[in-house]
Amino acid sequence: MTERDLFRQEVREWLEAHCPVSQRQPIIREEQIWAGSRVAFSSEEAKAWFEAMRDRGWTAPTWPTEYGGGGLDTEQARVLEQEMIRLGCRPPLYDMGLWMLGPALLNFGSEAQKTTHIPRIVRGETRWAQGYSEPGAGSDLASLTTRAVDDGDHFIVSGTKIWTTRADVADWIFCLVRTDPDAPKRKGISFLLIDMHSAGITTRPIALISGESEFCQTFFDEVRVPKNNLVGALNQGWEVAKELLKHERKLMATMETITEKIDVGLVELAKSRLPMTDAGHLANTDLRTRMAEHLMQADALNDLNELIYGGMKTGQFDPAIPLTLKYIGTREQQRKDELMLEILGVDGLSMTSGKPDLDRMVRNWAYNKAHTIAGGTSEIQLNIIARRGLGLPE
Amino acid sequence: MILNEEQRLLRSTVADFLNREAPIEALRFLRDKEQALAWEPALWQGLCELGAPAVAQPEQAGGLGFGAMGMGALMIEAGRRLSASPLVSSAIFAQAVIRLCGNATQGDRLSPGLMSGENVATVACQEGTHFQPQPTQCRRDADQLSGRKTMVLDAGSADYLLVTARDQNGALCIGRLACDAAGVTITPHRFMDGRQYATVELIDALVDEWLQGEQIAVGFQRALDETTIMLSAEMLGGSRELLERTLAYLQEREQFDVKIGTFQALQHRIAEAYCQLELAAASVYSALSAIDADSDALSEHASRAKALTGDIYQHLSNEAVQMHGGMGVTDEMDIGLFLKRSRVCNQLWGDSAFHKDRFAALRGY
Repeated sequence: MTERDLFRQEVREWLEAHCPVSQRQPIIREEQIWAGSRVAFSSEEAKAWFEAMRDRGWTAPTWPTEYGGGGLDTEQARVLEQEMIRLGCRPPLYDMGLWMLGPALLNFGSEAQKTTHIPRIVRGETRWAQGYSEPGAGSDLASLTTRAVDDGDHFIVSGTKIWTTRADVADWIFCLVRTDPDAPKRKGISFLLIDMHSAGITTRPIALISGESEFCQTFFDEVRVPKNNLVGALNQGWEVAKELLKHERKLMATMETITEKIDVGLVELAKSRLPMTDAGHLANTDLRTRMAEHLMQADALNDLNELIYGGMKTGQFDPAIPLTLKYIGTREQQRKDELMLEILGVDGLSMTSGKPDLDRMVRNWAYNKAHTIAGGTSEIQLNIIARRGLGLPE
Repeated sequence: MILNEEQRLLRSTVADFLNREAPIEALRFLRDKEQALAWEPALWQGLCELGAPAVAQPEQAGGLGFGAMGMGALMIEAGRRLSASPLVSSAIFAQAVIRLCGNATQGDRLSPGLMSGENVATVACQEGTHFQPQPTQCRRDADQLSGRKTMVLDAGSADYLLVTARDQNGALCIGRLACDAAGVTITPHRFMDGRQYATVELIDALVDEWLQGEQIAVGFQRALDETTIMLSAEMLGGSRELLERTLAYLQEREQFDVKIGTFQALQHRIAEAYCQLELAAASVYSALSAIDADSDALSEHASRAKALTGDIYQHLSNEAVQMHGGMGVTDEMDIGLFLKRSRVCNQLWGDSAFHKDRFAALRGY
């Protein structure tokens, strides 16, 4: 047996032993374990599963062990991921700090910032929110106007951030703020960590078309932030932000693995609800073809991900390809949602029918409309593919 | 595409050779000849000297052992240059049919000639205007075949035919007979891609032999799937070439005092096509490895590869014409040659609609 096979076997046995059967069911939103001082568990087993993973550092498998991470290399992390998928294990922890801030902090953070924040992220003790967009700065993010004014050993932050995910329950927020209003747009921005419990911060939830209000608008009114919360150099925040956006896009391309996983097997759904021919085919040939088109694209997207992974190992790799993943992944997610709604017919027209599975599907259909907007709209993605990937002029 | 060291070397050798011997001008030359020719003898001879028809086969069978992945890499290069040769008809399809539908004796006797390129064979399996997997009107009567086949690749220049038919029990059978056998009428014609296809009429034609493998229907399906995947690789090569040529034009052509590639309307269209192209490419690569891995899901792979490359080749060829503006509709530009090739490829062994339908059936709905 190779070393990798041995590792796989060890992982498999460990997961079998530590992942309770209840934690191998597809995750639903209400049962997700979100990090933070207000962490809540839907059951004792959910808590046990979280704690087992946390104590092995497998909430952040590839992060260094000195900061509490799992210390796995990419190959091992992949084995862990594959084995978790094989067994159907739920993600043990949900947090923007885990997905986005952590990798950027490991890259750009000071030693003090790493030792302060990384272990607490791994252990799910702080819930992080993201403070990027503003009412006047969406796709044109670099035009943001939230100000951080130098005041000795502090910054005084004033302004407002929007689409801050669950800022109302977050412990910390990572923000892009303007530190030099006279510099060209991207040159006057800094990356700042702000304690949400600071004086001068208020939040207001935003009601969404899905009937939920995951996002907030967050207001900063002369908030004092210690200068050692600056990540990277002063006015170099755009570099940190770009690195972080990469992680966000990668994440959104594989959204299915982290958003609630109701397995909407399209084929099963269609077969159980719609008329079939004697040959066992969907009688609605138009829908049947469009389903085939979506399923082919979804399979192809999996192959493309495999290819990128294999290409990174062997150096046979077109760097333009990963730029396509967010665009394709979110498009196919929405296509699947639309097909599902079409299959449900009248049953797909309510978010409050009282049938949880149905309501969830319909809410997700509406919620997922945000996927082609957040983290860089599809149109911005196409700009990036065309210019950075294909070399077309600005 | 992830290739090993040897496969990469093969790819660059083939690319160099094709650049020299089979650039697009070679296709124009072939197309403009008075008589519909299937290929240039010198090009085919060169490909045979390189060992191209034996690339995929394992070494113990007398091949070069590069696998389907190696052959796929070669087909992508051929697709980029629209190289016309009997690689698909003979080296890929006919060889697969003999290997998968014949018995061991037949394989030992017939394969070496196809692998060396000394013989060229072609499979006659299409009837009517749209591909159907099962022959409907070609009939076996004792040792004779009667019926009509369409879109038979390279038949006017091949040595022998492998013809699919139904026997009296309705079972699939495959007869081998020389192209000049009595009762066989081959009418070659040129399609718009400049290549030669033929209509084959069989009237009580006496076959030389029937392929005698144990599972002819299963074997034939597999041969078709393998060939469809290889054609998809060629179509991928053509699509990539179209994308690159169009990108180059967008960076060079100026209107309103700027490069037209600065226009967002065009950037978004080409970026979107690029996404589709990479999805199709990933499907072709995994289909090629599915051949090498002897996968049970080969039909699904083949249908996905063919449908996605078919759609993107057609789409990109239309976009390429449009983005080249007036030049796009001139014969002087090569774009039109790809446009026409894409339409011909779509009709070979099932168009996108056929393969989407088959994919759905394979997925059980």
